[in-house]
Amino acid sequence: MNQIDAVTVRGLRKAYGDRVVVDGLDLDVHAGEILGLTGANGAGKTTTVECIQGLRHPDSGTLRVLGYDPATQAARIRSLIGSQLQDSALPDRLRAAEAVELFAGRQARDGGELLDRFGLSARRKSVFSSLSGGERQRLFLVLALLNQPRLVILDELTQGLDPAARRNVWDAIRELHADGTTVLMVTHEMVEAEALCDRIVVLRDGRALDSGTPAELVARHANVAMVHFTWPDPPSALLDEMRVLDGVRDVKRSAGRITVEGSRATIAHVGAVLIRYGSVPPDLDVQVPSLDDAMLALLNGVPAKAGTTPVTDERLVGGRR
Amino acid sequence: MNAMGRLIKAEMKLMVRDPLVLTFVFAFPVVTMLIIGGAFGTTPTPAFEHTNPAHWYVASYLTVTIAAGGLVMLPVHLASYRERGVLRRFTAAGFPHWSFAIAQLIVGLVTVTVACALLLAVAAPVYGIPALHSAWRVVAALVLGAVAFVSIGVLLGTLLPSARSAQAVGLLIFFPSFLLGAGGPPPHVMGHMVKNIAGPLPLTQLTDAVRDPWLGIGQGTGSLIVVAAIAVAATTIAARRAAL
Repeated sequence: MNQIDAVTVRGLRKAYGDRVVVDGLDLDVHAGEILGLTGANGAGKTTTVECIQGLRHPDSGTLRVLGYDPATQAARIRSLIGSQLQDSALPDRLRAAEAVELFAGRQARDGGELLDRFGLSARRKSVFSSLSGGERQRLFLVLALLNQPRLVILDELTQGLDPAARRNVWDAIRELHADGTTVLMVTHEMVEAEALCDRIVVLRDGRALDSGTPAELVARHANVAMVHFTWPDPPSALLDEMRVLDGVRDVKRSAGRITVEGSRATIAHVGAVLIRYGSVPPDLDVQVPSLDDAMLALLNGVPAKAGTTPVTDERLVGGRR
Repeated sequence: MNAMGRLIKAEMKLMVRDPLVLTFVFAFPVVTMLIIGGAFGTTPTPAFEHTNPAHWYVASYLTVTIAAGGLVMLPVHLASYRERGVLRRFTAAGFPHWSFAIAQLIVGLVTVTVACALLLAVAAPVYGIPALHSAWRVVAALVLGAVAFVSIGVLLGTLLPSARSAQAVGLLIFFPSFLLGAGGPPPHVMGHMVKNIAGPLPLTQLTDAVRDPWLGIGQGTGSLIVVAAIAVAATTIAARRAAL
């Protein structure tokens, strides 16, 4: 294990019956970073983080978590980890403040302050079954952060949160990052991954397809920007000039609607040409490649154009393993 | 407070808030004891081994609270925890390996102890508490019986896949055991076949081990040994199954 790695996984394999869920996975989580684990449904993300926490025993492979082996030293690891598990509830009649009291170890932070921080002060005496989905998720985050963990594992934490609550949770994760805490998060939300993660590892069929910073993944898998505008009767030289701009791959014209396709640099060059011609069309629209585009291109095995891939693709939505 | 203490404290609170516990472990034995205890009067008859029938049922119904705790309350509680991922959360949070099993044993024993005390408190002014002929045998049987049934309950809770199935199976075992082994007609009025079915049931053995030395009908040694054996076996298996 590298000294700066909080988690090192080599050759992890896990099958349920004859269904192989994780198939020879290598993974490094550097100390102090936020690493996003993403991928299609059934890609093995949750199984991987469960093996890292010692909740499942791998069929083969080696794992080191904060210097310990989760298969044989799980008890040591768990006191250093704060985790939010997928599909894991609390007893229905347990009150929020009682949950904090129950999970607070010797190193625990002020639970009341955390409840306050995540907007749960007024729900301290509410039983778990009466909390909304968002309140439950926030309570899970409180419990994950309670004992000042060195590694925080979050499995689809912001699922079900409203936009304000999601931002609140993101801020908390950024604060953890600033404090030097390592965060490993499973997410299907590319906006979330782009906003928070230093690096992202993309899984498919239990293997790592690619990894890198969000910008690197976008550059590798969705480096096609598009500029659209309407110009019913453009000067004849305009389209010719645009076709030879640096980075432009294609220029299309259809019923007065012009689409210029190319690298990100295309956006600036097209803008410059339009200004030079003295007209910026009022419906000028730019589509830059997003991480969502990159993920779908990567998972579907084809390069993506900006904003052209269906964001509701079933493979990226609401996954469970 | 350490992890075990925190877990026991939380589980005690949850047990008191559980309507199934309040209904089946506290209310049901008291209500049925009051009804059936008054049904046969207070005159000793051969059917009741020449003892006061009301006292016969007072001595029998302590085991009903134990069986209700073990066969109805705990299986549902544990199966619900497993079904909803609560146990995984305890495991991931680093609660010690045996903490949950021990907490359940302690909470189960405290619950049936309180339920037994409540039953005696209600029976005392109505039917009177019969004198104990062999106090140590009665206490030993109650303690071993409570351990046995709490462990059986924990075991069922770890084997059954959901809270609903645990409730169904628990009630299916509880009611025949209750009618044949503790709260129903005395064995002397049962037919041959029913008596043969009732005899080996764990609750029948426990009731015999409590009632016989309490009312001076017998020593109940054989039944006490059976209950002790069940307690040892069930506790051993349940503790392993409920380890985090």
